[in-house]
Amino acid sequence: MRKIIFSLIVLLSMSYASYAQCGDDLLKQALKEMGESQYIKDYTIELVKDKKDTKTGYVKFSVVLQSRTQYKFNLANGDTNPEQIILQVKQGDKLEASNMHNGKLYNEFEFICGKTGVYNLLFSFKGGSEGCAKAVQSLVKQF
Amino acid sequence: MLKKLTYLTLIVASTQFFTACTGSSNKSSDSDELAITDSLASDAPLELSEEVIGDVIQNVSSPVEMANLIKSSGVEFSQKILNNTEKVDEYDTSFKRALNLGVYSADLGYINTFDKNTIVVSYLLAIKNLADGIKVGQFFDFNSLKRVATNSNNLDSLMEISVSSFNKMDSYLRSQKRSNVSSLIVTGASIEGLYITAKAIEATKNQDLIDRLAEQKDIVNILMIILNNYSQNESFAELASKIAVLEKAYESVKITTEFSEPKSMEKDGKLVIVQDEKSIVEISDETLKAIIKEIEVIREFVVL
Repeated sequence: MRKIIFSLIVLLSMSYASYAQCGDDLLKQALKEMGESQYIKDYTIELVKDKKDTKTGYVKFSVVLQSRTQYKFNLANGDTNPEQIILQVKQGDKLEASNMHNGKLYNEFEFICGKTGVYNLLFSFKGGSEGCAKAVQSLVKQF
Repeated sequence: MLKKLTYLTLIVASTQFFTACTGSSNKSSDSDELAITDSLASDAPLELSEEVIGDVIQNVSSPVEMANLIKSSGVEFSQKILNNTEKVDEYDTSFKRALNLGVYSADLGYINTFDKNTIVVSYLLAIKNLADGIKVGQFFDFNSLKRVATNSNNLDSLMEISVSSFNKMDSYLRSQKRSNVSSLIVTGASIEGLYITAKAIEATKNQDLIDRLAEQKDIVNILMIILNNYSQNESFAELASKIAVLEKAYESVKITTEFSEPKSMEKDGKLVIVQDEKSIVEISDETLKAIIKEIEVIREFVVL
C-alpha cells in the first residue's frame, strides 16, 4: 500500500511539473525573446495523441496579417518536448513562411507581409510527437 | 487510514492532472449564472456553427498595426475622437455593452500606442464595467491592470495583460456558446479602428493610411458574415444593415496582387522571410469619402 501511495505522490508531482513546463513561464520566455517589438497576440499549443493515433496532428489559428508589415514570431518549447515546435504560415494551401528553413529549425523568425489577408498559422511537432509550446506574434515595423 | 489517504491522494492527483492537461484558463461550469438574460438571448438556429464562427472571429485583425501606422503618419494624438468613458453607464443592454467593450478596447490600443498613460485608467475602468455587465469581468484583473498602467514604463505589459484578458474572455465566451457576444466585441473594435483611421486620414491625407483603410475591404466582408449569422436578432439585423451599406461603398475599391521573387535571409542567426506577393490598392477620392461617411454613420450608431 505504501508503494501505491508513493506512486500516487509521484504522479501528483509529475502533473505539477507538466503544468509548470507549459504554463505562464513559457509565455514569459517567449515574451522576453520578443525583445523590443510590439506585442500583438500569443498562442498556446498543446498536442496530445488520441488513443487511436500514432502521431499528433496540428493546431490551426486564423489571423489577419497586414501588408507592408514586418511581423516576428517567437516560439518557446516545453521543457520535456521530445521535438521542437514547427510553425507554418499559410495562405490557403500556399506556404508563405516557416521557422523550419533549409532543414534548420529557428526559435524565431520574421515575416514581411506584402498582402493584407487571412492567413493560417499551423503548429505541429516534428515527427508528430506530443508536446506543448507558446508562440508570441509581434510587430517589428511597418513600411 | 491508509485507504482514506489513498482515496484523498487519488482525488488530488486527478484534479491536478486535469488542471495540467487543460492549462491555466479560467473555468466556470455554471452557465446559468453567466447567461445573458436580455437582448442577446435567442434560440433560433445559426447558419454557421459556433466553431466556424469562432474561426471567422479570429480573422478580425488586432488594432495594434493600424494604431502604429497612425502614429508613424505623424498625426497628433487626439482624445476627442475616442469614445467618451462617461457614456459607459448609458450602455444598458448586453448588445450595447458588448459592442462598446470592443470600442473601448480599440481606444485602449490607440492610447497605448501613443503612450498616453494619464488616461489609460479611465478606459480600463470603462472596459471593466462593461465586461462585468455582460458577466465576463472575471477575466479583467482591474487592480493589476491599473498598477501596470500607472507605471509609464509598463505600457507594453499593459497591452500583453489586456490582450491576454481579451483572448481568455473570447475563449470562454465561445466555450459557453456565446460567440454572439464575441462577435459584437470584435465588431465594435473593428468599427472603432476604422473610425480612428478615418479621422487620421482627414487630418493628414496620408496615402499609406488611405491604402490601409481601403485594404480593410475583406475585413468588412468578414464582419458581414459574422453579423448575418445572428440576423434573426433585431439588433444584429439593424447593425448588419448599416455595415451592408459600408460593404457597398467598398465595392469599387480595387485590390490586385503583384508577384515577385520570394526572399529569405539569415542575419545574425535570425531568419527573415519576405513574401513574394504584394497587394496594389486603387481607391478614388469619391470612394474614400463615401467609405469615411459610412464609417461615421455606423460608429455613431454604435456609441450612441
